[in-house]
Amino acid sequence: MTLSYVPDDSIAHRLDPRSKLLVQVGFAAAAYAYTTPRGLAVLTLLAVVCLRLAGGGPRDLWTYRFAFPVLLVAPLVAGATLGAPWFRIDRAATTGLASYRVLLILVVAAGYVRSTPVRDSRAAIQHTLPGKPGQFLGTGVALVFRFLPLLKRDLLTAREAVRARGGGALPVRERMRLVAVAGINRAFGRADRLGTALNARCFAWNPTLPRLALGSADYPALAIGGGLVAAAVASVV
Amino acid sequence: MIDVDGVTCRYGGRGGGDADGDGNADGDADGDRVTAVDDVTLSIPDGEFLIVAGANGSGKTTLVRTFNGLVEPDAGAVSVNGTPVSDDLVAARTAIGMVFQDPRDQLVAATVGADVAFGPENLGRSHAEIDRRVADALAAVNMTGREDDRIASLSGGERERVAIAGALAMEPDHLVLDEPFTGLDEPARRSVLDRLCELRAAGTGVIVVTHDLRDVFDLADRVVGLSAGRVAVDEAPREAAAKLPGLDVRVPEGAFDDQPADATDAPSDP
Repeated sequence: MTLSYVPDDSIAHRLDPRSKLLVQVGFAAAAYAYTTPRGLAVLTLLAVVCLRLAGGGPRDLWTYRFAFPVLLVAPLVAGATLGAPWFRIDRAATTGLASYRVLLILVVAAGYVRSTPVRDSRAAIQHTLPGKPGQFLGTGVALVFRFLPLLKRDLLTAREAVRARGGGALPVRERMRLVAVAGINRAFGRADRLGTALNARCFAWNPTLPRLALGSADYPALAIGGGLVAAAVASVV
Repeated sequence: MIDVDGVTCRYGGRGGGDADGDGNADGDADGDRVTAVDDVTLSIPDGEFLIVAGANGSGKTTLVRTFNGLVEPDAGAVSVNGTPVSDDLVAARTAIGMVFQDPRDQLVAATVGADVAFGPENLGRSHAEIDRRVADALAAVNMTGREDDRIASLSGGERERVAIAGALAMEPDHLVLDEPFTGLDEPARRSVLDRLCELRAAGTGVIVVTHDLRDVFDLADRVVGLSAGRVAVDEAPREAAAKLPGLDVRVPEGAFDDQPADATDAPSDP
């Protein structure tokens, strides 16, 4: 399963993408400002609420499974020492909390991606950041969100092709090498084909963007997002 | 009107190009260069149903990609409605809608409505105009009311129809379809074929690129057959039928019924 926009009528789907972006930014700032267990507990509750309001659930987090090993290994590596006492729990705990806050940010991001079409994200960015910088960023977001799902599907196809011809019995290292080589080749081909498709449909820097309008439901979201940003700033000052 | 005047396309480097995406280098090798399209001259009037036929690697995909500037010819020129393609790429790409061989290469949004709207949005049309075009294009492919369907949940035939709708939303004069029936089951094939018939009746020019003419032979006004990048056949279907098997393309049974006895001695279908 690839994390992508899912049409729905959830509360998050009805929010203006700018409100959702502010909540995301605020959440990320707060997660880095409040690293205590209590702070992260509050943020955990908020992250789950964000995902649920977007109609998402644990299945959406499966997309991040490739990040989980890194997040899990990081505290072990941080805690390990070359001599006695061989493992320092305080360092591992600090890094563990850092890993956990990254996970929380990913949860909130999943809610955003699930509830926001690519073109709405592009519109939000270009409305927030006018002029060429906004167009550049908006185009970048549009391309990345279109390219990544295709690339991921190509990698999965390469892995299935390896398995279909008995490659499942090969050592992990060899399987990784085969999928990586095939994946890189396919990524270049995919980039070419996506570029051609976008050209054929007159991909533009300044397309007609969706109308954005803040509704009554956006004000609580804006308040939460603004509050998170303010809380993060207050903790630093 | 599409005017192709002496167009030649070559690909540089060892191994040549593969614009067909079929794994074979297109056209004839010329040293390190591969000639995919070799001095082709054509004129395609508005409203014509044209088949561009040829075996894998004969250069047919490369040729049609010059119509809207996706491939730039090494020699010769292509004009659309009197304007050289290189002078106004947006005009050429608006006038010539293109449906790729694999619709997955073409669909760029998560939902049907967003994908069909992608082209008109890029043209900078108003929201009302975009909404109208999306509705019209989806109606033309019999998918009205499915704007919110996820692309990932569609069948192969439905994706093909969404790809056609995406091209139609540009309101093109000509619709180019590259191997449109590849991988489709019978109901999907019939559905796409019905849509092409309706488009033709509505006055949209249709250009089908294929090596299998069985589905579209009776619909076509003209068949252009390519061999090694050159035009080997350029005739009405019945007149072209006897020569087509020599190009390693598949023609329908009965295509030779109107031919003189000696013309039907052509090799059988591959």
